[in-house]
Amino acid sequence: MSMNGNTNKSLVMSDAASVRLRLGNWIGQGVLFLITSLSTFAVFFIFYFIIKDAIPFFKTEGFKELFTGTHWYPSAHPAEFGALPLFAGTALVTVGAILVAVPLGISAAVCLSDLLPFKIRQVVKPMIEILAAIPSVAYGFFALVVFAPMLQEKGGTLLSTGAWLILGPIFALLVVVAGDLLLDRLRTRIKNTKLAAITVFSVLGSAAFFLIYRVAGQLAGIEISSGTNAFNVSIILGIMALPTVVSVSEDALQAAGRELREGSYALGATRAETILKTIIPASVSGILAAVILGVMRAVGETMVVWMASGNAARIPEPWYNVLQPVRTLTATIAGDMGEADHVTGSSRFHVLFALALCLLAFSFLMNLASETIVKRSRKKLGK
Amino acid sequence: MRLETRKLLDKAFSGFGLIAIVIMALALVFILAPIVSRGSKAFVFKGTIEHRRVMLELFDRGNVDKFHKERDEVGKAREPIYAMMAEFEAKTLELETSIETTLDEIKNEDRNLRKEVSRLKKVTPRDDVLIAELEARREQFKTREAELKAQRSELDDTRSAPYEELKDTVEELFGPIPGDKTPVLVRQRYGQTRWDRSLIKLHELLYTEEWDYSSPDGIGVKVETPRSELFAGTCLEPLFSYTEENIPQMMRPRTTFYWQFITDVSKGDNFFGGIWPAVLGTIYLTLGSMIFAIPMGVIAAIYLCEYAKEGRVISFLRVCISTLAGVPSIVFGLFGLAFFLNTIHVSSSKSVLAGSLTLSLLILPTIIRSAEEAILAVPRSYKEAAFGLGAGRWRTVLTVILPAALPGILTGVVISMGRAAGETAPIIFTAAVSVGLPLKIWETMTEPTPALPWNIYNLCTEHEAVDEIRHVQYGMVLTLVAIVLILNLFAIFMRARISKKLRG
Repeated sequence: MSMNGNTNKSLVMSDAASVRLRLGNWIGQGVLFLITSLSTFAVFFIFYFIIKDAIPFFKTEGFKELFTGTHWYPSAHPAEFGALPLFAGTALVTVGAILVAVPLGISAAVCLSDLLPFKIRQVVKPMIEILAAIPSVAYGFFALVVFAPMLQEKGGTLLSTGAWLILGPIFALLVVVAGDLLLDRLRTRIKNTKLAAITVFSVLGSAAFFLIYRVAGQLAGIEISSGTNAFNVSIILGIMALPTVVSVSEDALQAAGRELREGSYALGATRAETILKTIIPASVSGILAAVILGVMRAVGETMVVWMASGNAARIPEPWYNVLQPVRTLTATIAGDMGEADHVTGSSRFHVLFALALCLLAFSFLMNLASETIVKRSRKKLGK
Repeated sequence: MRLETRKLLDKAFSGFGLIAIVIMALALVFILAPIVSRGSKAFVFKGTIEHRRVMLELFDRGNVDKFHKERDEVGKAREPIYAMMAEFEAKTLELETSIETTLDEIKNEDRNLRKEVSRLKKVTPRDDVLIAELEARREQFKTREAELKAQRSELDDTRSAPYEELKDTVEELFGPIPGDKTPVLVRQRYGQTRWDRSLIKLHELLYTEEWDYSSPDGIGVKVETPRSELFAGTCLEPLFSYTEENIPQMMRPRTTFYWQFITDVSKGDNFFGGIWPAVLGTIYLTLGSMIFAIPMGVIAAIYLCEYAKEGRVISFLRVCISTLAGVPSIVFGLFGLAFFLNTIHVSSSKSVLAGSLTLSLLILPTIIRSAEEAILAVPRSYKEAAFGLGAGRWRTVLTVILPAALPGILTGVVISMGRAAGETAPIIFTAAVSVGLPLKIWETMTEPTPALPWNIYNLCTEHEAVDEIRHVQYGMVLTLVAIVLILNLFAIFMRARISKKLRG
């Protein structure tokens, strides 16, 4: 009986205690919420302070020159703030990086999610993590000290070897597919199918070989006058963006689910057909998000481009010539701030904030886009 | 399509996937191999006697008696070189003085003749024949003087100028010539400390290098000529073959394990010593950013997982966190400069504190996300059991969920530490300087610091002799990569253990 009395006592809470508890809970949650919203404050502060220091520039110099001018001489008298070459440089290296990272990254992601056995995946995943973990300055150092001299000395050979390695397998596959399709058409009309196959494949094959041979020959003749150029940076940035692309698109491929795969196999599709025609279309939005994140990584990267892009603020001639040095937004901010630091308040100082604002706005929009895409795809897949 | 082709395409498809993986692996090896192989040479290399001299004189390290004995032997081996140089200098001086004295004599005689001529001109009757004769002799003197001057300048071109170049190279190789004044710059007080650099300098000593731009396509061709040709016929001619043959006796290369590369301060503009100030700066910045980021990140994760009710506010919060994760690192740097330094003035100049604050914002989203994942991975049953035992929400979080999620949170923390250690852009304007001493812990509030990522950039782009201190650069990169990779491997290892545990 006495035990019963005790429990009763502790189970019933006085009004005052209950209020105290609720108040405590409420305040505690409030504090937690405040700390959590610190990142919100951080985002607002970043926008506010970048905009605050960018406004004086737009007030004195206006918008037109920054976005349309092609002469970037912020320290000259009178100063010229044409940032078009910087935007062009950023765009060029980003496109280059994406051309490297996206095909490689998506193939690797497919491989990781659908092809490789679990044991090998356990080895490959840490490898990707290490690739992501290497500091950007180490990549920059590699690009500047190892890769640039290599390009300068053996650029032509390197390019032609690369052409063989990349174009060779692709063309071989193309020849097989095209030849097969052609033979399918011809089969009804021709009797000697073996002879037809031999002729078709040899003709297509030699045409492809000749084409690659010509391209590689052209590339081998190229002399790279400076190893620090957009090509170098694109390759390195591509490798840096690779882990992001791989892991995000692998997540997307995984999210497509077992049922889709099994349904496709049941219909008699091969693995390649299942992936290409069912899984990738189903997870295309996730892959798009991966590409966007890769773009963001390449656009926002500073050290590699600062060290190895050559830092020449002019638009390459012709505009797609990746073998010329370029200069990007991030590198300009990093490089010019040191000199502009002691002239705080001048246009030269504030223009860097204007450039940062462009970067910030771009990454914000990209981020929003990828978020929206991922959210929508989740809804579509019913998860 | 035929079945065979479909099968072939299927195989080719797998092949492409595998190729992508292989390329990725190759890229990793391609990038890490030079960093590891050449970076390790900052720690293990063939050190010359000059290295041991640096160790002894600048760092008080090594056996004095043994060093003195070795120094004397090396001195003996180097003696002939200095003797030859002294002889050459003396001979050149002799030649110069002889030319100078002859010139002086000629000038004197010429002056006398001029006086004589002007005296004769005043005498009446004028002896025109004699005057003409004297003038003719003066003309001879003039040509003789011009000849001597040409000889002198030729001497300058062929002996003195090449000799100065040679002397500079010898000094770079062996250190200052005995008996000369001690140079002001520390880096000029010692010769080459590494055997590989010594051989490069030896090559510079043996050959002169010129670039020939005469070819029509404008590409320069390097032309090397043996320096001995410049000194053919002089007493310096044997110097070159002597140096080439006896360089090991003069440098005494010996395999050296210099682990103190990490813990030594740098001396003589990074030519000697180690990288301790930068390593320490990186440690300060990393730990400092963790002090701010871990509590904020973990609390935010707890709130988002355990307390928040999904709604407009929370999804807005999530958008903000992912926006923060997407802000380019250089923009963080500008923000740190504009906010922490120029607006709230956490310190009067760049400081570790400002850098840490900036970095903590950068890694905050990573920590929040990984902590959230770790908390969500804690089985529901744990939480329900705690509630069932009558624990409140907060008590459940503190005593049940956090301990269970701790390894996962730690994994995220360790990965973000690697990120913070390697970031350069945010600390350029907020914390990093290129030269500095190791900071005391209380100085971190007000003082800027060298840091590995920034110093790597600085040494390989802005140093006056970029090519000569490659080993220091590689050593720095290796140290930074090693720090980051060890942190990451630790995280990978921990994650493997967690997933094993969760799978049971």
